[in-house]
Amino acid sequence: MAAYIFRRLLRTLLVMVGISVVVFAFVRSIPGDPAVAMLGERATPEASARLREQLGLNQPWFINFKDPAHLFNAQYPKYVGALLQGDLGNGIKSQIPVASELKNRFPATVELALGAIIFALLIGLPAGIIAALRRNTVWDNLATTVSLVGVSMPVFWLGLLLSWFFAVVLGWLPPSSRLGIGYTIVPITGLDVLDGLLRGQFAAAWDALRHLILPSIALGTIPMAITARITRNSLLEVLGQDYVRTARAKGLSPRSVTLKHALRNALLPVVTVVGLQMGALLGGAVLTETIFSWPGLGSWLYDAISLRDYPVIQGGVIFAALVVSLVNLLVDLSYAFLDPRIQYA
Amino acid sequence: MTTVTAAPARKKPENILWRRFRKSTPGKVGAIIVLVFVALALLAPLLQPYDPSTDIDYRYRLAPPSVSAFWDAGAKEKYTDAVSSKVLYFKHPFGTDNLGRDIATRVLHGARVSLQIGIFATVLALVSGSLLGILAGFYGGWIDTALGYVSDVMLAFPSILLAIGIVSISNRPGLTTAMIAVSVVQIPIYLRLARSVVLSVREREFVQAASALGAGQGRTIFKHVLPNSLTPLIVQGALSIATATIEAAALGFIGLGAQPPTPEWGTMLADSREYYTQAPWTMIFPGLAILMTVLGFNLFGDGLRDVLDPRSTQ
Repeated sequence: MAAYIFRRLLRTLLVMVGISVVVFAFVRSIPGDPAVAMLGERATPEASARLREQLGLNQPWFINFKDPAHLFNAQYPKYVGALLQGDLGNGIKSQIPVASELKNRFPATVELALGAIIFALLIGLPAGIIAALRRNTVWDNLATTVSLVGVSMPVFWLGLLLSWFFAVVLGWLPPSSRLGIGYTIVPITGLDVLDGLLRGQFAAAWDALRHLILPSIALGTIPMAITARITRNSLLEVLGQDYVRTARAKGLSPRSVTLKHALRNALLPVVTVVGLQMGALLGGAVLTETIFSWPGLGSWLYDAISLRDYPVIQGGVIFAALVVSLVNLLVDLSYAFLDPRIQYA
Repeated sequence: MTTVTAAPARKKPENILWRRFRKSTPGKVGAIIVLVFVALALLAPLLQPYDPSTDIDYRYRLAPPSVSAFWDAGAKEKYTDAVSSKVLYFKHPFGTDNLGRDIATRVLHGARVSLQIGIFATVLALVSGSLLGILAGFYGGWIDTALGYVSDVMLAFPSILLAIGIVSISNRPGLTTAMIAVSVVQIPIYLRLARSVVLSVREREFVQAASALGAGQGRTIFKHVLPNSLTPLIVQGALSIATATIEAAALGFIGLGAQPPTPEWGTMLADSREYYTQAPWTMIFPGLAILMTVLGFNLFGDGLRDVLDPRSTQ
């Protein structure tokens, strides 16, 4: 097990190196000069040259071949050196350290991802279970249809649709942002709803929750559909197993057979899928965050790409990829705890 | 006499596939949606009374769907012809956008754009990804390791970010770039799929027999391994048209895909963002078109799986 974790971590590390190299070359290949983006179109060539010098952008990318004595006097080795000390550089536009902005932004993404997964489980699990237990009835067809439509849903359209219907037509929920004007919540965990409760600011927590609902539904619809589908298929498979028949033959109540024997085993693949979905959502939901002006990783990266903000793009993408890889690793390892038959060699 | 005994037992393989297909509900529904969609895309230039991008009509800016004139007095007034005082219930069945262009026409033409993107992106990803996957699976060794590493790195990026990055680098937002971006994002999926299939096919007796009989590597790959690895790739291809449709529309939505005035569904949604609070039809119909198309191809893919690979059906 330890050897397996070690190998997986090593692989993750290698992938991170690859990601950082690719992102590094990628952002520098995007046409447009960050110095010009920062100073504006009317900046003199001398001023932008000075700024490029200051930002180190005129150095070679990866290896300094011109100066064999200082081969690593280049942008990438310097970036990695600083990265290892936890310094991701400053945003070119904002001059705020990328690491601290990341600390502010990531909790918003986590909160939204949790909201989406909670929505997915609240609807997807019961729908899948009912569909399997009442196979080939109206309920099964309904659940199957909902999950088929759900996986085919363009998230950005669903976002617009929800905010039009619930915010504009009915006026029940706010259309965008994370917290209404007039509320401030001093962060503890960074999750507004939770922090509001912890600090006893119930009105603010309620407001934060109202802001969270629509983006969570938009983002959670695809995971919901996948959860319902997997739950149904997995439960049907388990219900056909010998030990379930044995349990029934022993005269156990249908309720006990379903809950204690079938469901617990059927949930194993569900845990996997939900975990993988969670990992993907933590990488930042670019479209949902942009539509709902949600101040998370996704909208931040999207803005950074249009601004050519190299340090933000680099730091953000590397961080997002790291989170996704680590969550996937955790999901893999959780098998061993949930199903003792699985052993990693 | 001999002909009589030989004839009746034979059945064409198409019959079996066709019979399986008719039993698969998702396959049938999906096939119908896909057929309707393809027919509309092909007929779009003939069906429409308007041009999708140039027929601008300021008298009908953001006009509601004309069918609403049946119950809505305001719409009825708007759609009443001033000369003949007849109500034009079907003038703009889906309403008009901010320039007074007919949304129904634009959605219809969007089907052409979307079908183009979906098919080209998928074919490009399928061919290049599968070839790489076959190489990796058949030869193994360092090629396999290197390609595996590259696809690991690509899959670790959120796919929409990777697509945004590719479009940004080219600095030429537009249909072709979006198509390539959407396609590149899918290459590692085909690479992995083809590789795993080839690994299992490679060990089968008929492939070893072909090698033993002296078939060259190229012949073994293309005559024996490839044809027997196609099924999962075809199924994935149908599903991938669905994904490509959504991702191309997403790129259009954030302004990096097809550019206005191209009638592309994602671009139409992006345009509608300023108006959809007063004119929701500018947003509802293009989105519905995306949803239906994606649903159709997803169902069709499920159906193909039922037909081509009945063992894997859940």
